[in-house]
Amino acid sequence: MAESPSTSSWPSSERAGKILQFAPFQSLVEDGFWRRLSSLKLDTLGIDQSPIPIIGFYAPCSHAQVSNHMTLLAESLPHDPTMWSSPSEMTRGNRNRCPVPGILYNTNTLESFHALDRESLLKMEAKKILEDICSGKVEEDSALLSRFLVISFADLKKWSFRYWFAFPALVLDPPATLLNLQPALEALNLEEVESLSAACNEWRNSSSTADVPFFLVSFTSSSHATVRPLKDWEACQVDGQKLLFGFYDPCHLPNNPGWPLRNFLAFISSRWNIEKVHFLCYREKHGLADLGLSLVGEALVSPPQAWRDPQCIPKAVGWELKRGKLASRTINLADSMDPERLAVSAADLNLKLMRWRTLPSLNLNVLSIVRCLLLGAGTLGCQVARMLMAWGVRKITLLDSGRVAMSNPVRQSLYTFEDCLNGGNLKAVAAARSLKCIFPAVEAEGIKLAIPMPGHPVPAHESDGVLEDCKHLQSLIASHDVIFLLTDTRESRWLPTLFCANLNKIAITAALGFDSYLVMRHGAAPLVSMSDSSTKVEDMSTVVAQVDTSLTIDGDKGQRLGCYFCNDVVAPIDSTSNRTLDQQCTVTRPGLAPIASALAVELLVGILHHPNGIHAPGEIATSITSSSEQPFGILPHQIRGSMPQFSQMTLVGHSSNSCTACSSTVVSEYRRRGMEFILQAINHPSYLEDLTGLTELMKSASSFKLDWDNETDDDADV
Amino acid sequence: MLHLMQMILPRNGRRSTQIFPSGHGFLVREWVFHAEGYLALENMNQLSASEALTDDENYSAEEEPFDNATLVQSYNDDMHIYDFHIVYSFSYRVPVLYFRGYRCDGHPLLLCDIERDLPPYSLKIQNESKWTFMTQEEHPYLRRPWYTLHPCGTSDWMKLLLGGDLPSKSPDMLHYLSAWLSVVGQTVGLRIPLELHDKSI
Repeated sequence: MAESPSTSSWPSSERAGKILQFAPFQSLVEDGFWRRLSSLKLDTLGIDQSPIPIIGFYAPCSHAQVSNHMTLLAESLPHDPTMWSSPSEMTRGNRNRCPVPGILYNTNTLESFHALDRESLLKMEAKKILEDICSGKVEEDSALLSRFLVISFADLKKWSFRYWFAFPALVLDPPATLLNLQPALEALNLEEVESLSAACNEWRNSSSTADVPFFLVSFTSSSHATVRPLKDWEACQVDGQKLLFGFYDPCHLPNNPGWPLRNFLAFISSRWNIEKVHFLCYREKHGLADLGLSLVGEALVSPPQAWRDPQCIPKAVGWELKRGKLASRTINLADSMDPERLAVSAADLNLKLMRWRTLPSLNLNVLSIVRCLLLGAGTLGCQVARMLMAWGVRKITLLDSGRVAMSNPVRQSLYTFEDCLNGGNLKAVAAARSLKCIFPAVEAEGIKLAIPMPGHPVPAHESDGVLEDCKHLQSLIASHDVIFLLTDTRESRWLPTLFCANLNKIAITAALGFDSYLVMRHGAAPLVSMSDSSTKVEDMSTVVAQVDTSLTIDGDKGQRLGCYFCNDVVAPIDSTSNRTLDQQCTVTRPGLAPIASALAVELLVGILHHPNGIHAPGEIATSITSSSEQPFGILPHQIRGSMPQFSQMTLVGHSSNSCTACSSTVVSEYRRRGMEFILQAINHPSYLEDLTGLTELMKSASSFKLDWDNETDDDADV
Repeated sequence: MLHLMQMILPRNGRRSTQIFPSGHGFLVREWVFHAEGYLALENMNQLSASEALTDDENYSAEEEPFDNATLVQSYNDDMHIYDFHIVYSFSYRVPVLYFRGYRCDGHPLLLCDIERDLPPYSLKIQNESKWTFMTQEEHPYLRRPWYTLHPCGTSDWMKLLLGGDLPSKSPDMLHYLSAWLSVVGQTVGLRIPLELHDKSI
């Protein structure tokens, strides 16, 4: 090529320069890139490990303290796999995104990632750059000078991505030397500065040149600057014209040019035989050329002879360092990519919104750690479980001895038709599985267990099994914080009530009649005198130790709230045999179960937020009560609702000393005799009545011939 | 409102100084309009409280041949980069600010990380005002989780701020936007220079 007279009109210093040091490119990969790569791997590529052409984007430095990065975005990956054979089809960028071609080697295992021959991969890309320089391609598409390489390993199970960038730079031997470097404002005269600014801004604002990162600047003798593409080189060889070789410099440093200059110098010197190169590191501020930040410099370059050989594999450097060391980088995106985690954070967000907007006292933490045991996985159990999940409760255990029947799925919201087939899946297990399908992060467990009931005597050969069941039930109750009694018979609620009373656990009962419902919370444990405490500890040693018997007086007038059985004057008996079919199956209006279940859970939330917890006094709704007093409103003891009336009322009932389930007589007897007592109660229902004095009570009552309004005619149980 | 935004602001990728040659205000100079329908202010750098990043990498034992033409750089791990987008919400009929932050290596910042970057007055505003809180939502155009200032209170406080009824076809869209941004910006620590409000539009 002809010599270049234009450089002689620059004031040049002949002093020996120091080695020109370039600031390395810095990479930045947006999470969108990894998402796209993940979908590509999963949907299209599979185990294919062929290299993938990608586009990197960068822009000139726009900030005095921070360099710009070579960025990979979702758009960096090709859309259409069939287009991969022609990677030269460049994406059109814009002024903020200069596209640069690159190549990605993504491996299928970590071992193969480490086994990649980085040296030869780097040399391969360097060779491509040299070829593009020698062939003239660079003048057509200058971004080829900044061609880069990425190796990666995408672990799609853990959503973690290991990667390593290389920005191949052809090594000059001897290295280029810097003769001078200064801000453009100082290197040029006033008219040149003004003209250069205007010319650069025009170049940057034109959509056809905004993303072209290498260019020529020619100055006429009257200081008028024009920005020209590289291919106009010949045309710029005009006498009296000064020439600057300009490029978008991502680096912000005042004393060093950015990485793209390396290959640019290699190109200029070997293609156009120029030894002394005057260059412009173009940088911006607020979208306009900033000639204080931009640098003008002069370098001495001598390309190796070896580059003239078409077979030459040039020496290259460029693997990106991680904090000064040669190492790959990793990024873990499980939080924003793992769909299960996204489901958790979305559900949490919903609750947080409630808390932010209207209910600042909402304690999400207690809801997420409370352990709930649901006795019964039927109409009530399924709905209670769902409502608990809606409130952010994550630990749910369901207990049921039955299998899903054909009539169940329409009313019991966790079951599907599939659960009924082949005799029907176990309800508790199916329910737990269904909960996990709805919300994978729930900790749900289903346990098949039949609750032993008074009035259903146990044949001798089964008594061991029943004993085991009792112990199992008791340990379950001990290991949970809240117990929901959601079974379909009255007598099945007796044993859990006793266990909860003994262990001072929060117990919530929901019971349905044909067109009415009852939802109530049981009172706290009864006061038990020390002399009644059992020395028999085999059943409940650890458990009894946890019961704080001093805290058994509820807030309201020193009397504790009653349980489900407190209003009874007969002990629970067998209510299921000798009944017609419609009475044996719980027949209720379908709307009742969801209503009662929802109320049961709302009641629990109220208890958990009440400062006295299980000891909170029962409140009733009055027209005087203003809702702004407590954020959740009143905390009732009992809610009884009627479907025909579309009404409900709140009631308070105190504990009865003759209660067959929670009175201190019964609890202390249980503590004294343990499972032996239980079995006796199961096999002889009148035993409980005798124990609590109900028998006496009834005798004396009938002797008065009073009209007993038998409250056991509760519709609450069929 | 979206159409007004399109009228006032320039085409995709172009600097808005083309339309407002006086170089009008911080707001218009920096924000770029994207054709899909949002304003973007990207690559805002924020020096974070420096975090000690855990060093869990096995470093390669091999060394690259020393290259004296490469500048040995100090690395600044503690630079966080933020992108801000203004999107129009059709359901709330107000502009909504979406934002996200990431570390130098591209790792997205969590809400707790972002809160640590905010100036103290921002957190104060968020905690005290019931109208401003940050939540994570899916960006309506980019379909990825971004953080946003929930818009449910916006029209209420905009009414208070601008006083009287908002003219529905006001050409004074820039005034609306800058007023909106002056409140919302404070909540996320975006400083709006005072001259923006002095210049008549």
